Amino acid sequence: MNSLRSYLAVLRGSFMVGMIYRFGFLFTILGNVVYMSVVYFLWRSIYGTAETLRGLTFNETFVYVALGSAVFILLKTYADWFISYEIREGIIAIYLTKPVDFQLYALAMSLGSALITLAAITLPTVVMLYVVFRVPIQAGPGLALFPLSLGLAFLISFNFDFFIGVMAFYSESIWGTSITKEIIISVCSGALIPLQFFPQAIQNVLLALPFQAIYYTPLMMVTRPDQGWEVYLPMLGVQLLWAIVTFVVSRLFYNQAVKVVRVAGG
Amino acid sequence: MSLIHLQDLNKHFKLLNRREGLGGAFRDLFSGNYRTVRAVDGISYDIEAGEIVGYIGPNGAGKSTTIKMMTGILKPTSGAIQVNGRPPYENRIHQAQIMGVVFGQRTQLWWDLPVIESFKILKEIYKVDQKSFDAHLGLFNDLVGLKALYSQQVRTLSLGQRMLCDITASFLHNPQVVFLDEPTIGLDISIKAKMRSVIKELNRTRKTTILLTTHDLGDVEALCQRIIIIDKGKILYDGDIKRVTALFGAYRTLKLQIDGFDHTTIPALRQRLNDRFGAQAGIAVGETEEFWTDVTIDQARTPMADVLSFVISGFAVCDVRIVEISMESVVQQVYDGALR
Repeated sequence: MNSLRSYLAVLRGSFMVGMIYRFGFLFTILGNVVYMSVVYFLWRSIYGTAETLRGLTFNETFVYVALGSAVFILLKTYADWFISYEIREGIIAIYLTKPVDFQLYALAMSLGSALITLAAITLPTVVMLYVVFRVPIQAGPGLALFPLSLGLAFLISFNFDFFIGVMAFYSESIWGTSITKEIIISVCSGALIPLQFFPQAIQNVLLALPFQAIYYTPLMMVTRPDQGWEVYLPMLGVQLLWAIVTFVVSRLFYNQAVKVVRVAGG
Repeated sequence: MSLIHLQDLNKHFKLLNRREGLGGAFRDLFSGNYRTVRAVDGISYDIEAGEIVGYIGPNGAGKSTTIKMMTGILKPTSGAIQVNGRPPYENRIHQAQIMGVVFGQRTQLWWDLPVIESFKILKEIYKVDQKSFDAHLGLFNDLVGLKALYSQQVRTLSLGQRMLCDITASFLHNPQVVFLDEPTIGLDISIKAKMRSVIKELNRTRKTTILLTTHDLGDVEALCQRIIIIDKGKILYDGDIKRVTALFGAYRTLKLQIDGFDHTTIPALRQRLNDRFGAQAGIAVGETEEFWTDVTIDQARTPMADVLSFVISGFAVCDVRIVEISMESVVQQVYDGALR
């Protein structure tokens, strides 16, 4: 795979861009510390004296919400923003004259900056959960599958963002669409609150949609790691399916959009 | 077999006719009122391997559209286009490997990273081996001394430095053809000179075919043996540069600022010059900038000094500039039959 090297080079470049803005990097870490403290005290008071709410203990909810926000930021690829910018400014023309696949190029860009977030937010959050808040994270099949699940979740999230970004070929501004997408995903995916807190009927609908594969699946694996392989492997399978479906759909959409632009104008 | 072959190439765009005002904007939402713009209108030419061709014309003439078709970004509406024997919009990834592109207005470099990192990424994208990579950067360093810039972030470079780096990048994979779209726009004389010498040297040593679009006739004069002039999507002239330089070499434009300038000034001046020098004197009067009157003079027919002293004696001239003929005037001259 010789062309893999070119995308790795892009990924490396994107990672370096994140490193160059050192202060942004440091403040992100600091902001996350503050955020986690707020979340801790908020949920502490919601639970009050109750042992469990909706079958989740405080520890489980806190891990879910705190990790949830860390994962949420990690899975924000910003691909919709930079792709639509590049399309509107015509920078896309430069990619079209290079021997690269634009979708994979954008994916490599997003992965590069995600690695920065991983180092600045996700890993510190895990450390803080463990060291400062002393929340035990149980080892088990769930934890073992978590990184894989997170990877698939990233791919699904990227595919959504890529799709929205490509809409800029048709519409001057994707600002509204992008905000709407963000709200829908944060609610329907279980990033804001665990899906168990929704009424049963709504839960059933949400579980059938691709959004839950972004946050709910990986987060379940760390908050309920006590369950066996037979629970997690099917969840991973569903995730994989959604990753493939969204990848293919957004790719077809992109190919179609480029074809239209090729024919209709510059 | 020529490297680039265009045969009766057309590119038409459909544009919505926008109406005025807020009401018009609402009605435009449902409008089917399109007009067709013929950005490229039936052009044909061949470019042989190793040529440097100047592709010139005023804004909106169709230069960039042609380049976008040659690079496979746009698909022609009709007609044939082949680069190295293949249509560029098919098999894009393969075609991209044999061409380099510089869009003067945009950069292919990574804005936030040191220059060398962009080169390294391009090295992987184009699968350039380490030896040719080093040799290439060494050559550019010899030509323009870029090494000092390698560790600088692209966004801290001046426009001229960035453009030199962009050109370095576009030649990195030793392409057969390089398209330079307005590479000298906004650059000062010394950087322009550097750039011209680099382009010339690469064309000489590597036989890279170069298609250069520019507004600056000086670029064309310095680099090209062949010039193609395009306007409104059609080819006006395709041939030896010598005939064209002879043409605009003889022309100078006298820019005058006349006291009490109003809409009667230009017709009055035109009339007086016509009375004094006659209709065949090769003098044209027009306005391209506000408050400046342009008098374009063919020095082969009428000495400029005569015109200048005549104008000064008859009009209250408060400022004078003498400029080389502009792209627009060349095109106008060609329309008027100067090359036939």
